[in-house]
Amino acid sequence: MTETDPDLEACAREPIRVPGAIQPHGALFVLAGEPLSVVQVSDNLGDFLGGDVVPGQLLTGAWQALGEALSAWRSGEEGYFQTRIEARRLTVSAHRAGPLVVVEVEPAGDERLDMVFSRLRSFTEQLSAEPDVERSLSSVARFVRMLTGFDRVLLYRFDADWNGQVVAESGNGRLPSYLDLRFPAADIPAQARALYAANRLRIIPDVDYRPVALRPALNPVTGAALDMSLCQLRSVSPVHLEYMRNMGTGASMSVSILVDGRLWGLVSCHSAGPHMVSQALRETCDFVAQALAMRIGALARAEDAARRVTLGGVTSRLLSQMATAGDWMEALAVDAESLLAQVGAGGACLVTPDRLLAVGETPSGPQIRQLVEWLQAGPREDLFSTHHLAQMLPQAQAFAGSASGVLALSISRLHASWLIWFRPELVHTVKWGGNPHEKIRESGRIHPRQSFSAWQELVRCRAEPWSDAELAAARDLRSAIVGIVLRKAEELAELSSELQRSNKELEAFSYSVSHDLRAPFRHIVGFAELLREREGALDEKSRHYLQTISDAALSAGRLVDDLLNFSQLGRASIVPRPVDMDKLVAEVITSVMLTAGNRTIEWRVCPLPVGFGDATLLRQVWFNLVDNAVKYTRPRDPARIVIEGEARDGMVVYSVSDNGVGFDMAYVGKLFGVFQRLQRPEDFDGTGIGLALARRIIERHNGSISAQGVVDQGASFTFALPTTERKGRAFA
Amino acid sequence: MPELRPILLVEDSPRDLELTLAALEKCQLANEIVIARDGAEAMDYLTRGGIYGNRPHGDPTVVLLDLKLPKMDGLEVLERVKTNEQLRHIPIVMLTSSREEQDLVRSYELGVNAFVVKPVEFSQFFKAIQDLGVFWALLNEPPPGYAHHAKL
Repeated sequence: MTETDPDLEACAREPIRVPGAIQPHGALFVLAGEPLSVVQVSDNLGDFLGGDVVPGQLLTGAWQALGEALSAWRSGEEGYFQTRIEARRLTVSAHRAGPLVVVEVEPAGDERLDMVFSRLRSFTEQLSAEPDVERSLSSVARFVRMLTGFDRVLLYRFDADWNGQVVAESGNGRLPSYLDLRFPAADIPAQARALYAANRLRIIPDVDYRPVALRPALNPVTGAALDMSLCQLRSVSPVHLEYMRNMGTGASMSVSILVDGRLWGLVSCHSAGPHMVSQALRETCDFVAQALAMRIGALARAEDAARRVTLGGVTSRLLSQMATAGDWMEALAVDAESLLAQVGAGGACLVTPDRLLAVGETPSGPQIRQLVEWLQAGPREDLFSTHHLAQMLPQAQAFAGSASGVLALSISRLHASWLIWFRPELVHTVKWGGNPHEKIRESGRIHPRQSFSAWQELVRCRAEPWSDAELAAARDLRSAIVGIVLRKAEELAELSSELQRSNKELEAFSYSVSHDLRAPFRHIVGFAELLREREGALDEKSRHYLQTISDAALSAGRLVDDLLNFSQLGRASIVPRPVDMDKLVAEVITSVMLTAGNRTIEWRVCPLPVGFGDATLLRQVWFNLVDNAVKYTRPRDPARIVIEGEARDGMVVYSVSDNGVGFDMAYVGKLFGVFQRLQRPEDFDGTGIGLALARRIIERHNGSISAQGVVDQGASFTFALPTTERKGRAFA
Repeated sequence: MPELRPILLVEDSPRDLELTLAALEKCQLANEIVIARDGAEAMDYLTRGGIYGNRPHGDPTVVLLDLKLPKMDGLEVLERVKTNEQLRHIPIVMLTSSREEQDLVRSYELGVNAFVVKPVEFSQFFKAIQDLGVFWALLNEPPPGYAHHAKL
């Protein structure tokens, strides 16, 4: 309830089992001892039985037979005693209360029981034919109203938190419709629910009744007020009567529906004016309610089984999609409909530290991240579910609209990957039957309209609870995903260990090559040289042969060196720093010109922007490009080489252009391949690795390199490097 | 004038040995060249063990040490020398066929005095060996304690 009302608080503590009074539509007396003697009576007992039954006396005279019947019943196993006294048109029922026997007397109804039974038979046939719970409820509401003549019969259902909802209704229009109305749990306090479970039927034929006291007030046997838990005439709480009056009802009856021992709901009947229903008809209503309860139990189990089958179908659909797709996350997100149907959610998301795929209604990305962080810190369980997230995570109030309910599957704790479903706040999904503002004429401090607001207050930030079938389906899906993820991880691990092995082999290979392959070339060159020095009188041809041996071995040695450089580049880590390109280029030109002899080269070197990368490696790039330009302009006199650079679009771009022999653009694709040469080796020496090396270095810097050429006119090489802000993964 | 202490050349490849000797010969150094064919032999010489048990006292002026050696490789010899109080002052020049990053790093960690990649070009190779010989045998002054020790 929205505001604390001291009287209503008191209501929850009220001693409803021991009111010390009964309603006046019947009379009560209490027996004890052996033989049974009267110990307590209601003040109105004489109106029903005459003056024969008085405290302190045995049942005698006209009541002796009843006394004997009760004695016989008391020593037996039967829970309840029931009989009719046709002569006085009374029904008598009795139950035990500790050492006491409580006897209640009421006028018998005038309905024809054979008629009632025939109606009941056709009703049970009809009920068993109803296909679902919803229609069974409506059917019961209609039948009970017809049977009892109440103005309105409601079927009232409790949820997991004991909040109530009117789920079916039958009425003649004299009382407003309450269909779909919700009530907070506090409207029917726990002690009242316990009483409803113990004593399934209550009736208040006239809201304005005058309670009838018991004499003596304290039971002489127990020394306490009589426990009236199981009494049908029990006087009810004044607060309850006030509630009834505020609802505009003059009479009410309610029958408990117990499904598998739990209070599932109530059949709640009202009339605008006073309305009495005989004991026999009430018993019939109880029978109807219990038939309904069995029907509900069976249907719920069938519905649960059907739901599991449906959800299982969804699971296998999602599974087959995941199995065939490369990326299980993608596969799940693509079929959003199935993913949401899997647990009946309004939204879902798949989260890993670097990815977030969301479908349907979900909180924002940062809010999901916050939730995952919280989940990740929680207990290490595969499945987490709640229909009231804000209770555990107060910040979740901010996104209660889309995610009051959360069902989270931990796919991998280690990699913080989660599949999370969301359910919206319940008030968003609740419908209110009829127009409450017009139809419900209510007043006073407690009434259903107020209950609905109170219920709204109570269920804020709560979602429809996740059912067992849905949780089971989620668990099934999780094990399927984990299976797939694990399999993929295993495949990856296998691949990676294979790669590692082959990398190791390659490293060992290159290490041994670097030592063992290089030495023989050195030896050939060395001994050829020694021979030449020793034999001063060699003829021209012999000297040429010796020179050729040396040259061949030398170029093979350089080839090995270049290859090793190239292969080592894959392993070396790049430490990016600002690089003074002007200085680097000047050094490279000086070093290249050392071997260029006395050629005429016209250099035009423009000021270059600062680069960003590994200076040693970038020096290698400049060296290869400048060395190429010098090499391929050998036939030119003068050779012209232009070096330029500029910063644009977050990149720095440099180029080396020459007026050399150029190349055919048809072969541009081969230019940067290892061992690809576009010139005959006798014209231009080289190992065919220089440009491949340059490209590899530039790519390791997350840059790009390209070439333009025209045969016999020249070539131009351009490379671009990212500036600091565009750090790529090579720098990470 | 430093005494003429020998140069210890540790080299397993006969061809490299011959080339290196030819190069050293050209420097016309007066120093004796002691040859060890593997790491173990080199350690024997330095510690006056094994076949060198009877050699006169005195440490070489420099050790030219090939990296890849049978039995005990160059890095291990380097490590033993540089962790031995008696031997650590002896200059060690690592000679290797290739510039392997990991070898370079490890050698300097162990305290190598120089690391030389043998050039493929013969003239460069000669030049390198001659420079080494001249530098370590003639120009380099050993630490004072070492000179004192040598006189004993």
